[in-house]
Amino acid sequence: MATAKIPGVRVAGIASAVPDTRAPVSAATDIFGAEMVQKISMNTGIECRHLTTPGLCSSDLCYAAAQRLLQELRWSPESIEGLVFVTQTPDFPCIPATSCVLQMRLGLPHSCAAFDVALGCSGYVYGLWLGASLIAGSGLSRVLVLAGDVASLLSSPWDRALSLLFGDAGSATALEKDDAVGPCVFSLGTDGTGWKNLIIPTGLQYSRHPQDETTHIRRKAEADNQRSAEDLYMDGAEVFAFTIREVPPLVNRALTAAGWKMEEVDDFVFHQANKFMLTHLAKAMKVPLNKVPFSLREYGNTSSSSIPLTITTQLREEISSRPLRLLLAGFGVGYSWGACAVSCGPLVSPPVILVNRSEAWRC
Amino acid sequence: MNEQEFIARLEELLEADAGSLNLATPLGSLQGWDSLALVSFLAMADEKYGTRVAPADLRQCKSVADLMKLVEKK
Repeated sequence: MATAKIPGVRVAGIASAVPDTRAPVSAATDIFGAEMVQKISMNTGIECRHLTTPGLCSSDLCYAAAQRLLQELRWSPESIEGLVFVTQTPDFPCIPATSCVLQMRLGLPHSCAAFDVALGCSGYVYGLWLGASLIAGSGLSRVLVLAGDVASLLSSPWDRALSLLFGDAGSATALEKDDAVGPCVFSLGTDGTGWKNLIIPTGLQYSRHPQDETTHIRRKAEADNQRSAEDLYMDGAEVFAFTIREVPPLVNRALTAAGWKMEEVDDFVFHQANKFMLTHLAKAMKVPLNKVPFSLREYGNTSSSSIPLTITTQLREEISSRPLRLLLAGFGVGYSWGACAVSCGPLVSPPVILVNRSEAWRC
Repeated sequence: MNEQEFIARLEELLEADAGSLNLATPLGSLQGWDSLALVSFLAMADEKYGTRVAPADLRQCKSVADLMKLVEKK
């Protein structure tokens, strides 16, 4: 895709929610040893994550964020005409779409269009693009984009590349038709040749490689890692190489299409892959690090919700009080990527919400 | 390419003692040559030498000399 300029869509508010269980990475010392944990933590910039336990789902985190956001915006649920739910960790394995359940839980009207989008690192930008397109192209007046993942549950605890990386979070972003607002500019792309570098190799019976009685067995993999075919796998070197190849031109395309100079951007909010990667990208693009907010230290890599979580935790005061020019960029699993140049604020942004297990949906 | 500079950078990257590596050093003998080091090497090649190294090529390397050839190649 080239770039898209979508006029007349206002970002009215952004909220995020995380599980209330806070886990320092040092807890993994027993598995990897103190020296290795420290080495990994220095590299990733992650000291702590908020972690879920099975039963508290992505949708529960997004639900909490959406509830609070609607309240603070004083938007009636009845007024929501579209719901986009971005996740790779749905309530049910595809059937039914979690967005349908969220329509019910949030009390959105039956006239609401709702659907799931199964993207990860790039998912938030895709969600914004879809939400904005629904407003500009289909005439909807209010859309909720919910993005969340509980990726911490996907990896083997004995995989040092991943088990200290992911945190869990959900987010809600409220979009509204407003003809007075300048365009949101998007650049999106895909390179499926990277499909095997971030993958859960086996799944249910309809999958490419169905699970069988042996696929759950964790075996010795590279280094001292242990992983099964049902665990998430990442080739970190390949993903890094992809990122430095694709992200700088992606950011440039979005800036050029928006007619912004790099200096005119207030903040570059990147998908929180890991600190080493983001620092390298910033250097390569000559973006000053003080314009690159990080939420990694406290929350880890939160997949599809890392961009809104970074905005609500690192830029909340600013964006609540004045307009900011943001360059958002998500990139990774797929490979899939997207950037968005958007002017937004002042907008409604409540403090990050802590969600207790007892708040999980009971069905 | 300046061989000494390359080796010094590699030593820094691997947190190895200065002067402990030479072109003949086998990568298999280095404790620090792990998955994090692969990524750090890709970053160094990009930042210091403007070379985009393919991870598959990097994994073929057996010695420090192989690494240098890889960075020099392009």
